[in-house]
Amino acid sequence: MNNYNIDRGYYNYINNNYNIPTYEQDINKNNIFDPYNGLIRGNMFPDLYNTYKIDNPIDIKPMNEQAEMLTYIDALCFACIDLSLYLDINPNDKDAIELYNVYRTNLGEYMLMYQNKYGPITKTSDSLNAYPWKWNDSPWPWEKGV
Amino acid sequence: MWAYQKKLEYPINIKRKDLKMAKYLMDQYGGPYGELNAALQYLNQRYTMPDERGKSLLTDIGTEEFAHLEMIATMIYQLTKDATTDELEKAGLGCHYVSFDHATFPANSNGVPYTAAYLQTTGDYIADLESDMAAEQRARSTYEHLMDLTDDPDLIAPLAFLRQREIIHYQRFKELRNYYLKNKI
Repeated sequence: MNNYNIDRGYYNYINNNYNIPTYEQDINKNNIFDPYNGLIRGNMFPDLYNTYKIDNPIDIKPMNEQAEMLTYIDALCFACIDLSLYLDINPNDKDAIELYNVYRTNLGEYMLMYQNKYGPITKTSDSLNAYPWKWNDSPWPWEKGV
Repeated sequence: MWAYQKKLEYPINIKRKDLKMAKYLMDQYGGPYGELNAALQYLNQRYTMPDERGKSLLTDIGTEEFAHLEMIATMIYQLTKDATTDELEKAGLGCHYVSFDHATFPANSNGVPYTAAYLQTTGDYIADLESDMAAEQRARSTYEHLMDLTDDPDLIAPLAFLRQREIIHYQRFKELRNYYLKNKI
């Protein structure tokens, strides 16, 4: 299941260039974090990454199998969010569109697996075809445990 | 319309009760540079963006700010959940308790209630985008101040995530502003 192929080299990537004046080149797929490494940094774009107080991003330590699977969803969901913002203002970047669709497809697959096993994240999940009403199942996102 | 996803944008599991940090975090909940204000500001500005790029960027960033608002509320909730009245009072949250008990309420860390007067919006899209750039920078600096005030890795991790999002949002707003200026839009 762990197919993110975490590259430890990323952990040493530190700069302080959040104030880059222009950033108009198309993205280079080889120079973008994988979804997990993007999630723990809050940023898919190495050129825009910089740190404060902590030198290295903090790994997510899932407490159980459900939390581990949710971490994959969080990572893929995050990759889609961050690439979306880029694509909104760079709508002609074919490579970025292709990458977005890889992550979007993977996200759909993980969402299907997770929701069938652990219950709904979205209101369109097949897992809601159950009795009693499954949307009410705990925990809620703000509660500890997942 | 909006659709809720029953998950956080980034996981939060805080083990250590810390009422002082809960109080400080309220700045990012109902303060002038908080997530609520950012969400409302961008989602009000999007209608007068001059092209499709602006409408989509303001919609998507405004939407993400609501996910951040949920993260801040989650941190405050987990930090204060088991607190006694006495503990709340000692941490300077006595006044909060009188009005709201353990409920969240959009006010800043001094208890000043959120007001829509914080919204920086004019209908002039260059002015609006430059306000948004400034808002992201202020929020980034607030997250740095919050990170200075705690050593709990359970708190630092989501705060570092949120700080990084401010950097990305700032960058995207700036790229859009530069694109409009360059192309005389």
